[in-house]
Amino acid sequence: MLEAIDLEKRFSSGWMLKKKYAKAVDDISFRIDRGETFGLVGESGCGKTTAGKLALRLIEPTSGRVVFDGIDITRLKPKEMRRLRPRMQMIFQDPDASLDPRMKIERSIAEPLRLRGGLSSREIEGKVADLIEAAGLNPEHARRYPYQMSGGQNQRVVLARALASNPDFIVADEPTSGLDVSVQAQILNLMNDLKRDLKLTTMFITHDLEVARHMSDRMAVMYRGKILEMGKTEEIFSRPRHPYARLLIAPELEEGRDHQEAEINCKNGDFPGCVFYPRCPFAEDICIKKQPEMIGVDRDHQVLCHLV
Amino acid sequence: MCSLEISNLRVFFPTDDGLVKATNGVDLRIEGRENLGLIGESGSGKTVLGMAILRLLPRDARVEGMVTFNGQDLLSLEEDEMRRVRGKEIVMILQNPTSALNPALTVGSQIEEVLRLDEGLDRPSARRRVVELLKTVRIRYASKRAKEYPHQFSGGMRERAMIAMALASDPFLIIADEPTKGLDVTIKREILKLLKMVTETKSMLFITHDLASAAEICERIAVMYAGELLEVARTEDLLNDPLHPYSKVFLGSLPSRGLKPVRGTCPSLIDLPSGCKFHPRCDHATAICKREHPPMLKREDGRQVRCFLYA
Repeated sequence: MLEAIDLEKRFSSGWMLKKKYAKAVDDISFRIDRGETFGLVGESGCGKTTAGKLALRLIEPTSGRVVFDGIDITRLKPKEMRRLRPRMQMIFQDPDASLDPRMKIERSIAEPLRLRGGLSSREIEGKVADLIEAAGLNPEHARRYPYQMSGGQNQRVVLARALASNPDFIVADEPTSGLDVSVQAQILNLMNDLKRDLKLTTMFITHDLEVARHMSDRMAVMYRGKILEMGKTEEIFSRPRHPYARLLIAPELEEGRDHQEAEINCKNGDFPGCVFYPRCPFAEDICIKKQPEMIGVDRDHQVLCHLV
Repeated sequence: MCSLEISNLRVFFPTDDGLVKATNGVDLRIEGRENLGLIGESGSGKTVLGMAILRLLPRDARVEGMVTFNGQDLLSLEEDEMRRVRGKEIVMILQNPTSALNPALTVGSQIEEVLRLDEGLDRPSARRRVVELLKTVRIRYASKRAKEYPHQFSGGMRERAMIAMALASDPFLIIADEPTKGLDVTIKREILKLLKMVTETKSMLFITHDLASAAEICERIAVMYAGELLEVARTEDLLNDPLHPYSKVFLGSLPSRGLKPVRGTCPSLIDLPSGCKFHPRCDHATAICKREHPPMLKREDGRQVRCFLYA
């Protein structure tokens, strides 16, 4: 359904000689199969949101390609891209900020339908009512404004609006991170139901391992712009191979080892080796000198580490 | 030693929309050395409870009930006596270390200030103590780091600095309000480990919405909902055999326990439900739950639960 090939995104700061680059996403490749949920897990600043935006071409990659349903979307002209947009939707972290505070709920949900054109206002009204029900909201919510709703309810509205354009592919970026656990469970269950009923393909970005485990079929663990481990979710949870993935998923295996970041004596802290080197308790000489390659350790299970 | 007793504590905030009943008759004790976890969802009143103990609430808050700490009635102390309690006997670690630290002063000088004001140390010995404290909270290159400003610290290090500051006055009780909120998983685990280590000789009231964190470092856990405690239990009892229907669904809604949703939403603190405050969302609710307010039941095995199911 979606394939990302050697994606890279650099952000620059400063000017001319003082110009500095930060690689938010550093040469990552992944694929998402039709109908599956692909989890992207990592701590803050690891580049997972940037990777999600690149997958939808909401930002332009510095290099690399994204192929969506056989089409290389990184090469598309803006007009062609716009035609494809309804098929790919993004759900953001903060539902209150994703909705226009001056629009009633029904208008927010109707917006994508009106933009698509070709529907009478009665048809739109009917569809909005269906979407409101599908998202588990009550009909009386339609006439409210976002500020009159709770965070969980607003996230349902955002979901309903995303579904209005009938997408095949959704990127959900921490959709429940600001919500209480009992509400989180409601939203995640709703997403699972919708995925099943509408056969959606989803990229699910989260920092919460348990949520990723529950939601995704396959997953990738990101750290400092790199994918360090990727494969079937259950496989990664039962046998994490990368030292960082082990630290995240099975800290009991790492008990007693030192993961505090070591200071490295080199210019700007740049060194050619593995991004996890400064925190890795197993690091050897090769790890600081040479960038590791993705190694397949099993069918559909890859690890970026010299020592695996 | 720490002996904290809260009885029938109520906190109300008058607002334009009506009276916000943030805390509705809380009874809680911490006796001797103990880490007590206070868990609840947002708006359950847990932060307000922590603030009320230290009288840090805004002036328009109406506080009723009793808070006794080591024989002193905190709610009736004079302000200058209260200030001594706050600095020396009970300290609070706030939710957001970025805003709790002064950005214009070095981290070392902020901890030094506590030592000189509360402990009366002179400058050289205060400086030595700062480095010791930073080492205690496992900050590397402590003497160099003491001279740095908060913005040069990472989130996890700022939290460590906050803990060092809390330890500076060697208090009996630490009130930690969501100290791991916003931290990455690996950092969070390290901070929890650190909190566990520093509370080997102190007590802590650990306020959080994260049951897993509380379970890791607390011996007992109190479950708060709509300004009341619904259950107080030893950690392993709560995890293995929660009694209150809310505790049960709260645990069940965790991703690691099956992600079963709880129907409905938390009630508004202005317009609380009659009877048991959880009854509109409870699968076991009967007529009496709607009509009458359940008292906290103390069972023979020492467990406490506020529910008619166990009456």
